[in-house]
Amino acid sequence: MSELTSSDDRLRHQLGLLYTDVNAELRRRGPNGHRNGHRPARVRVPAPVPDVIEKVKAELPVLALQAVGELSLRLRDLTGRDVIDLATMMAIVQFFSQQVELANRGEAVQVDDFGFDQEWTESLLPIFRWVYRNYWRVETTGLEHVPAEGRALLVSNHAGVLPWDGSMIKTALLEEHPHPRHARALIAQFFFGMPYLSWFLRRTGQTVGHPDDSVRLLERDQLVLVFPEGVKGTGKPWGERYRLRRFGRGGYVQVALQARAPIIPISVVGSEEIYPMIGDIGPIAKLIGFPYFPVTPLFPWLGLLGTLPLPSKWRIQFHPPIRTDLMDAEAADDQNLVMTVSDQVRDTIQQGLYENLRLRRSTWF
Amino acid sequence: MAAIYGLDIEDPRVGLDRTEFVHADTRHSLLTKLVRGLGVDTVVHCAVLTEGRASPRTVHETNVIGTMNLLAACSGADSPVRRVVVKSSVAVYGCEPYAPSYARESYAESASAREFLANDLREMEQLVSDFQVRSGSTAVTVLRLGHRLGFQYPTPLGEYFLLSRVPTFHGFDPRLQLLHDDDAVEALYYAAAADHGGVFNVAGDGVLLLSQAIRLAGRRQLPVLFPFWRGLARTGLRVTGYDMPASLADFLAYGCVVDIDALEREFGWRPPHTTRETLIQFLGRGEPEPQNVGPQEYELSQYLQRRRRLAAHR
Repeated sequence: MSELTSSDDRLRHQLGLLYTDVNAELRRRGPNGHRNGHRPARVRVPAPVPDVIEKVKAELPVLALQAVGELSLRLRDLTGRDVIDLATMMAIVQFFSQQVELANRGEAVQVDDFGFDQEWTESLLPIFRWVYRNYWRVETTGLEHVPAEGRALLVSNHAGVLPWDGSMIKTALLEEHPHPRHARALIAQFFFGMPYLSWFLRRTGQTVGHPDDSVRLLERDQLVLVFPEGVKGTGKPWGERYRLRRFGRGGYVQVALQARAPIIPISVVGSEEIYPMIGDIGPIAKLIGFPYFPVTPLFPWLGLLGTLPLPSKWRIQFHPPIRTDLMDAEAADDQNLVMTVSDQVRDTIQQGLYENLRLRRSTWF
Repeated sequence: MAAIYGLDIEDPRVGLDRTEFVHADTRHSLLTKLVRGLGVDTVVHCAVLTEGRASPRTVHETNVIGTMNLLAACSGADSPVRRVVVKSSVAVYGCEPYAPSYARESYAESASAREFLANDLREMEQLVSDFQVRSGSTAVTVLRLGHRLGFQYPTPLGEYFLLSRVPTFHGFDPRLQLLHDDDAVEALYYAAAADHGGVFNVAGDGVLLLSQAIRLAGRRQLPVLFPFWRGLARTGLRVTGYDMPASLADFLAYGCVVDIDALEREFGWRPPHTTRETLIQFLGRGEPEPQNVGPQEYELSQYLQRRRRLAAHR
């Protein structure tokens, strides 16, 4: 061993040479015979985007402002009153100009190691705020149970084909919480194989529903949002709305115990009605690799238009935390305790659903 | 440490000043003789194809059969081998869209990649762990090296970042994690110099989005590749002169990031170059230096090897 340490550097040197050599050799052995090593290939492509387009891009906000202004004037002439008010108009233009600005950040893009781009996510808030306030008219209660800082595992029921409920919970925390916070939702695995959607989900702070990921996020004192029902919840037929499915195998409780985070149950009412699922075509789902292929009164008959969610009335209730953070970390191995806590969470959410369904006098208003 | 022996089927292209070079392939009969004849106590197995453009057949022969022969030669009651280091790759996880954001070593068991490289690496690692069970006194280290760019000889991934316009898959912007060449060597060195039994991920700290990496490289991103049936995109790229291996296509669609905490716990060392630094250094590295093997020296080594080969025949 003493000999070894005295010749450390030489061994290191030798290994370096050997390693380089083996790799060079293996490279040359490839079937496509770039035998003489290093010849960077070039892809031939059309000429770069002309400057005209860049110029138009820069002037886009002004042009848009003019166009919207023109439109509102014309509408006023036609109808005799302000159809588009100035504030909305400014907000729309500001939104688009901000999007252009963010798209041109270049190297300054700041993402965390999960791919979360906070600046861009917050720039989308106006859209979700409008959906939250004007479209689904969400009424949120119990936000005081969400801590202003520190970790917590938010557990919610899941419904409505596409994970809109997640976006509304996130919006509630950003809009109505005294200390606006980003919740990081764990999304069903299969969504991450889909182009655009996986990109969007990662960019806005979501990650894969894997215990490792949730523990990692919780240990950084983040809010993590899980839907233990998974796709079994979103793919529920209309007749079974607001009846909770199985809560997985209690894995989320183990995560909370391991990371010593409290569990905050959430009941969401309204998400079940956005896509009333009256059928499920199994063979098509199988063909395109989806867990279900929904048939709603509008989809697939109206094509893309059918993917517009219906304007139901929503209520979101945050329940008092279940103090899994005060329990022993070893309790994660106690299957009995895990299932007991899981049942407790499930019951809380189910009771909350009944309660809020009662408080919501009508499905649509 | 008495001597270092290098083993390859072709002559080295760099001067190995303190290494005895043996010209041989991974045939079992040969290796058994070598191991026992030379009294080898530490084996560093780097003849594992992980990032080249070799055909599935070559990959299988080299990675699975080659490793099988080597391990067979190292086993047995009379074997002098006390330490085995095997180079593997994070490609063993197979770049799945739904892999955890930081793959731990244990994830390889539940990964279900169908890509041939991942399959072969998994089979190879299975052979290694079987060997470990059989010869309990031998310290076996498997290093799953992250994706390298290849400072001296760019890997396909390295070449990718040297393209003037970088084609990417539509609708995906994966997180990438890179390993500096020096850190790969360093990890092999640490594993060879002391007993660190187990399987370890080796990769740089931090991640870069593919789009960030391309911007960092000062290249223009072309999101033109159709994300499904990636064989199609690869065929298209081949026409333009860039040959993208199947495993790399998966990597550029879904990315692959691994957890290196186990490495730090066992080795007390983390690769010092971050992903970002690795890419920046790679891009600024300039032309590779010509190797310093003078013609005479080369001929001399050839001569010596011919003699050695003749001696072996006798």
